[in-house]
Order: sequence, then structure tokens, then C-alpha cells
Amino acid sequence: MKINLSRRAFCISTAILSALAFAPDFAAPARADDAIKLGLVAPMSGPNARYGSFAMRGAELAVKEINDAGGIDGKMIELSNADSQGTPVEGVSATRRLIDQEGVSYLIGDVSSSVTLAMQPVAEDAGVLLLNAASSNPKITYDAGVGGFKWTFRNYPTDENRALVVAKYAAEKRGFTKFAVLSVDTDYGRSAIQFTKKYLPQFKGEILSEDYYKEGEVDFRSVLAKIRDNGAQAIIYYGLVDTTPIVARQMTELGLAGKVVLMGNGEFNAASVIAAAPEAMEGAIEAAAWLPAWDSPKSKAFVAAFEAAYNESPNNHAYVHWEAVHLLAEAIREAGANDPEKVREALSKIKYDSAMGEVTFDDHNQARLPMILLEIENGKPSIKGAYSAEIEYPAQ
Amino acid sequence: MFSTILEQVVNGIVTGSIYAIVAVGMTMIFGVLRAINFAHGEYYMLGTFGAWFAIDYLGLSYEASIIVAVLSTVVVAYVVGRLVMQRMVGAPAEAGVLATLGIALVLQNTVILVFGGGYKFFAGGYIAPVEIFGFSLAQQRILILVVCILVFIGLELMVSHTRMGRSMRAVAQNVECCEVVGIDVPQVVLRTFILGAALAGLSGVLTAPVNVTVYGGMGELITFKTLPIIIMGGLGNVRGTLFAAMILGIAESLVATYIGLQYRDTVGFATLILMLMWRPYGLFSTQARF
Amino acid sequence: MSLTQPSEQARRRDYRVPLGILLFVVALAAPFIGSRYVVHSLIIALVFMLPAHGLNLLVGYTGLLSLAQAAFFGIGAYAAGLLAVAYGTPFYVNAVFAGLVAGAVALPLGVPALRLRSTSFVMCTLGFVIIGQAISKNWISLTRGDMGLSGIPKPYFELGPLSFSVGGTTGFYYLALAIGVLATLAVWAVVRSPAGRNMVAIRENETLAESLGVPTWHYKLIVFMLSAVFAGVGGSLYAHYLTVVSPLTFQMYYSTTMLIIVLGGGAGMISGTIFGSLLFVGLTEALRITPELRMIAYGLCLLVLVFWFKRGFAPVINRVWNAIGGAK
Repeated sequence: MKINLSRRAFCISTAILSALAFAPDFAAPARADDAIKLGLVAPMSGPNARYGSFAMRGAELAVKEINDAGGIDGKMIELSNADSQGTPVEGVSATRRLIDQEGVSYLIGDVSSSVTLAMQPVAEDAGVLLLNAASSNPKITYDAGVGGFKWTFRNYPTDENRALVVAKYAAEKRGFTKFAVLSVDTDYGRSAIQFTKKYLPQFKGEILSEDYYKEGEVDFRSVLAKIRDNGAQAIIYYGLVDTTPIVARQMTELGLAGKVVLMGNGEFNAASVIAAAPEAMEGAIEAAAWLPAWDSPKSKAFVAAFEAAYNESPNNHAYVHWEAVHLLAEAIREAGANDPEKVREALSKIKYDSAMGEVTFDDHNQARLPMILLEIENGKPSIKGAYSAEIEYPAQ
Repeated sequence: MFSTILEQVVNGIVTGSIYAIVAVGMTMIFGVLRAINFAHGEYYMLGTFGAWFAIDYLGLSYEASIIVAVLSTVVVAYVVGRLVMQRMVGAPAEAGVLATLGIALVLQNTVILVFGGGYKFFAGGYIAPVEIFGFSLAQQRILILVVCILVFIGLELMVSHTRMGRSMRAVAQNVECCEVVGIDVPQVVLRTFILGAALAGLSGVLTAPVNVTVYGGMGELITFKTLPIIIMGGLGNVRGTLFAAMILGIAESLVATYIGLQYRDTVGFATLILMLMWRPYGLFSTQARF
Repeated sequence: MSLTQPSEQARRRDYRVPLGILLFVVALAAPFIGSRYVVHSLIIALVFMLPAHGLNLLVGYTGLLSLAQAAFFGIGAYAAGLLAVAYGTPFYVNAVFAGLVAGAVALPLGVPALRLRSTSFVMCTLGFVIIGQAISKNWISLTRGDMGLSGIPKPYFELGPLSFSVGGTTGFYYLALAIGVLATLAVWAVVRSPAGRNMVAIRENETLAESLGVPTWHYKLIVFMLSAVFAGVGGSLYAHYLTVVSPLTFQMYYSTTMLIIVLGGGAGMISGTIFGSLLFVGLTEALRITPELRMIAYGLCLLVLVFWFKRGFAPVINRVWNAIGGAK
């Protein structure tokens, strides 16, 4: 009987709890005009949490900075987070909850492209501005702006420009002709290589081997041995920041350090990555949208603030989300009102002074971002050039 | 040509030794509980985090951090064992799956909550490479290989000569008879569980220097790598697991070299399925028990 | 009080029919009572309910624990999505095609898998999901790999002059509800049929069933394929609702969700699966009130489920239901 009683009590309490949790949903909340409601969808559990965590903290830091400075025209930003777990279903549920229950007018999200793609129709339907800061699938903006989804904007580079610039530099300035591909097996890695293959023949480069690694892979010895034997001069690596030190260390292990160079993107310039395997990282070529060592007042202030607040160095994900919040705040200021329609207009015409230079949006709501080409020299990133390129959109 | 293949085989053996230490723990737990421990990878993660914490926050040396790592895993395993695993004796398979999934979620997300979700880099360990028979290997990998051999020798001795080992075998064979004979089944289960989890934690701390990144969700992948190994080795079969781990390691290396790295993860389950079609009871067992 | 005469007790009223009607009305009126978030959650519950029904047939009625539902779900999603994107076919064509493809794939997979004993079978089915993910990632010419299949059009019904497209959350909810009801009726029919009784016999005692002449092997295979069909149809619904299908559909998340729905609801009872879907969605969404502790709480709930509700919630619901019906 005792067991039955406690089970019954548990059932009843669960039922009440669930009902209570859902009860607020049964009344559509009124959008208060005195607060700017911003939602953030990011992976906060599961393996992708290792990126979502940086994204969240970057955004939170920016919100705090803006609110501490008096908000936007006196109105404070209210930030609500929801966990997407890196799964499209959860991402859509998170989006729906933020829109319907928290009443957000602006959304930033997600990190995984598949989740962002699933979020797009939801935001479009609800007339909520979706500012993506970390997904790399080109389709997100091929289908945005004049391409379809008017409410989606992206403040993150697509890989077309990057692939071209890196390939060009490697071939022209460093004289490489033989390449091996080792990229992450996601849309990011695959599309970057697709674009690279498009441009490489122009520079008389040939690809000797092509391998993609799964997220979470830690053993590259076999592939690196293959690369050592086929005589490639550079490894085209478009990968994840926490895999770069593993590859670099294993390059050292196999004797490739100093003989073969990494090129592409994977936060080669981060101090912790270089420190993990300095010999292997020496001479690496990277095209990045940001680097912690960038010498501009805004960027340095960001790095200092992040380190002070969280005791950890910021990475790319933290930066782009921080920048996205500030970008949005600027658009709201220029629109003059907390009205998503007006903010959208303002955003599409904005000339935003980011920590890296001027940012504008093209007609597909894709940001034209200044990109930096750098090479690691003597253990430090050395800027070789900056560029900003137009994207060729396929005919719809 | 021959030397390339030999090199890949050596790579495979090195990888296999990592898998073996983790897998043997999972297979022993299965042996006494008849439950697949879907949370096994989380103990690997706890070992890594324990060591990382010891080095980064407590400023200990790598050697000391190994002890901290294994101890912290043992403590967590004790709690989980007392509260959950002991009650799984005699429970149906579904209960085991759900319970261990729940434990995995709790452990993973508690670590994310406490240490933050972001990735961390592991400092420490013997990462300088060394030349052996013309192959270049980090010293750490040789350490792993040596530890693997020691672990398996130790387990062999334990299982055949100690009381604990004999009780384990008894529980693995027939739980009801054990109760008749007077073996304290929950105690054996608890001890086996702690041992298995500790081995996973040890594997975690040993591989951290060569795997560099540390994050809360890293356990999931380890669980998935280990599952095919324990089936192929024969559930509950310690020696079989060692060979299955080695075979899988070598297969993965060869596939990564000659077919493509993107297929490496599927080698495990693909081999498993093929093997199940041909020899459903594991490569080294003679009858289908599970 | 005499021992032979029945004592007079007031008959408790049977509230089951009115309650049933009330629930039905609430289900129909949900879009007008709740916010879009609630309706969305109900749609997700219905989408997952289909593969869960299939899994329930396997686990509850034949005793086979399978983790492969996610594989067939994903195959169905890709099948429906590819057909819709390439040919713009009506929804019912996509759904049926998805179910058939999933069922067809289940045949060559089931034949060898079903010979295995329980634990090996579980691992084998898990292997199917992993291989499914690898295929969807690498067969780029068909599935577009990691770029995913996006822009799946809204479900379209070709009825001549009455053709319409289902758009919006409310519309989709009714579509999902209709399919959910059909699926539940289908499962109910299967279970009530003589075939269904044979399936229960297999679960209770396979050797005995065989000795009585029940072709256990055939039944297991048919049930395996049937469960795949359910998962495939569920996948088609998923594809149209999310408009995106990618290799992420083959994550473990989907397999474990379906398992939790069936085991949490109560394997072997249809009402269990329905309740399990609602419970799962209700729980995961309700727990969003504490974003940091959400998954920890969810894990703890799983443990509670295992220890206190070993047979799921269905027995409890049945007792409540019977109590409402006037029984003690």
C-alpha cells in the first residue's frame, strides 16, 4: 500500500506539474514594447554542446554590454535560451517555444546547418527575424532574401570566397601543386572542398587523396601516413577547431611537421591550438573571419571582456554570436523602433562597423564579411591580406 | 607496400588497445548483469575530465592526475552502482537500456553543467614521438599498449585465481545458483561494475594526451565504438574482447587508408552485422548464449 | 448483513463515454485552445507515435527489442522527401511510397537479423541505424549527403478541382491527427486479428507457439516489416513538416525517443503508445523551464520510469480508466 500511495502521489504530481508547465501556453503572451525580446537557439547538451556553449556566452556577453550601457534607446534586451541539441526536431520545438511562449521578436540560431534550415520556415511564418551566425550551408542564403525567406539573415561567411582565396594564395605565393584533402564530414567541410575543387585547376593544383573525418574522430594516423607517402605538399583542411590540435599533434608524431603544411580553416590562429603543436602549425595558411589576435580596439575589448567574464579565451563561435547581437542592436537603433518589419528593413540596408571592418548585406540577406588571410609565422598569425568577395548565386 | 600495410597494422593494434581496455569493462558488466551499459562511454569521459581537472585546477602532474582520474571515476561508479546497477539484477533487457541511457544523460549533462559545455584542451602526457622499427609513435601510445597488456594479464589472473574473479564467473553463468550457494550477488555486481567503469576511466586518462580535446559529450562516441566489439568478442568473454578489439582496430586502420577515412566509423557496425550473419555467437564463443 | 444477499451499494456512474467524447473534442479543438507551440508539440507527438506503434508491435507483441525504427523512419523521410522535391507528388503518394520503401528494405534486413538472440538482435538493429546514417552521408548523388534535402513542399492533395495544400501548423495538425487515428486503428486491427493472437503467443512462449503450429519465423518477419512500414509513414509526415531531411535523422536520439515512448507508455498496449507519445513530448517540452537542468531531469525521469513504472504508465492509466468506468 505504501508503494501504491507514493506511486499515485507521483502520478498526480507529475500530471499537475505538466499541466502547470503548459498552462502559460494557453494564453498567448502580449509582446511588451518596453523590452526587446531576443531568443537564442543553440546546442546546449549532447556532443555539439561544446560549440553551443561558446556561442551562448558570446551572445550573453554582448547583451550584458548593451544593457549595461543603457540598452537600446532605453529599452533593455531580454535574452532567452533554448536547447536544440543539434537535432532538427528539437531545434524547431525550441524555436516554436521561444516565439510562442517567450514572445521573441528576434532569433539567433543555430550552429548546425540542418537545424537552421528547419528553423527558417518557422521564423518566416511567424514574421520573426532570424539572424544566423554560425551555419555554413550555402543553401541557407541561396533561399533567403530574394531567394525566398525574407526573414532570414546570415552573418557568417560561406565557403565559396574562402576556398578561392586560400587556393590562390597556396598556389601563387607558396607554389604548391600537390594537395591532400582532409576535411570534416559535414556540409561545412564537404562544400568547402567542393568549391576548392572548382577553383584548383585554375592554379594547376591536383588533389592526391581525399578524406573526410567524422566529428569526434581522434585518430588520423592512417590518413596522415597515406599523405606522408603520397608526397602532398599541403593538406587542405576545413575542419573543427577542436580537431585541429589533434591533427597537428599527430602530424608531429608521424614526422610531417614542418614538411607538410595545413591550409584552409580551423582556427589555426588560436594561441591554444598553436601551443598544442607549434612545429606542425608553422606555416599554416588560413582564411578566417576573425582571429583573437586581431589588432582592433573593438576586437581586443571583446577578447578581454570574454576572458574576464568566463576565464576562458573566446573562439570563433563566441565572436560571431557576440557580433551578431551587436549587429542586431545597431539595426534596431537605426530602425528607431522595436518593430521587426522596420528592423528587417534597416538590417538589409545597414553599413555596420564591426570589429573586423564594414559589414553589409546583399540581396540574398547574406553578409559581405571582410575576411583575413593569414599565415602562421614564428608561432604567431601574420596577416597577409584582406578581401571581401561577392557570391555567385545559382539561377533559381 | 608491405611496410605501409605493416604500419597500418601497427596503428590498428595501438588503436585496438584503447578500445580493448574500455570494451573489457563493458563486457564484464554485461557478464554479471546481462545489461548493455549504454553509459559506459561516460566513465571514459569522467576519467578524462578528472585528469583534466587535476592538471588545470589542482596543478598536479600527469602521473598524479591518472590517480585522481581513476579515483573520481570509482567514486561515481560506486554511487551509480549502489543506486541503480544493483537493482538491475534480474531485470529485463529494456530496463537496462533505459536505465543506462538515463544515467548517461545525467552524467553527461552534470559535467556540462559543472565544467561548462565548451571544449578544453588537455595538457600533459608523453606526446613526444619515438621511433620503433621505423614507425613513429608518440610515447603515450606505447604506454597505452603496455597498460593494455598488463590489464589483460591482471584480469586473467583475477578471474582464475581470486575469489572475486571466481564469483564473477559464477554470477555470469547462473545467478540463481549463486544465491543458493551463498554468493552475495549484488556485491559482486557492484564490484564488477566499479572495476569496469574504472577501466573505462583509466582508458580515458591514458588517451587524453593524444586525443587532446575534452568535452562533456565525448562519451557517446566511445560507447558506440565499443558496442560492436563486445558482441564480436562474445558477451562476457574477456579474452575474446581483446582479440575483437585488435581486429576492429586493424580493420579501421586499413579501411581508413585504402577506402577513406569517412567510412572508418561504420567499420565497427558493418563488421558486426557481417559477423552476426555468419557466426551469431561471437567470433570466439562456441555457442549462442545471448 | 446477510452473507447470501448482495449488499446494496450505489452504482458508481460510468463516466468513460462522456470523458472519451470530451477528450475527442479537445483533440479536435486543440489549435483553438492552445498556442501554436502546444499544437506543434502535439504534431511532434503524433509524428513519433507512428514509428512507436510499429515498435510496440515488435516489442509488446512479439517481444523483440529493436532500435532500428530510426533507420526506417529516416528511409521513409528521405523517400517521401525525394519524391516530393523531384516530382511534386501528392502527399498520400509520398506517404505510401515511404511506407513501402521502408517495408521493402526491412525484408532483406530482417531475414538475417531475426535469427539472432535478443542482445545480438538489439545490436544488429542499432547497426542498421549507423549504416543508414553512413549511406545517407555518402550516397551524395541520391541524398545530397550532409547538405541535406531541404525545401520539401507542403503536403499536397490532388483531388481534381478540390485540390489543396496543407499549410500552417493548424492544417498540419489535422493531417497528423487523421493519420495518427488511421494508424492506431490499423494497429488495433492487427492486434485483434487472429494474427495478433498468434503474435502474443510468440511473445509468451515461442517454443510452445511453434509446437502448436504457429509459423513463428514468418510472423516475426511480417511484424518486422510492418513496423518498418509504420516508421516509414511517420518519416514521410516528419519530412513534410520539418521541410528538411538530413543524415541527422539517423541519430540515436530518434531511436531512443521511440523506445522511451513505447516502454514508458507500456509495451503491448495501444493506449500505452498514445499516452507515451504525449508523455514524452510533454516531458521534454515542460522541462524547458530549466534549460540547464533539462537533460539531467530527463535522465532522472528515465530512471524513475525504470524503477517505479516497470511496465510503463499503461497499467496505471488502465486502472484510472476502469475506475472512471465504475469498477473499483
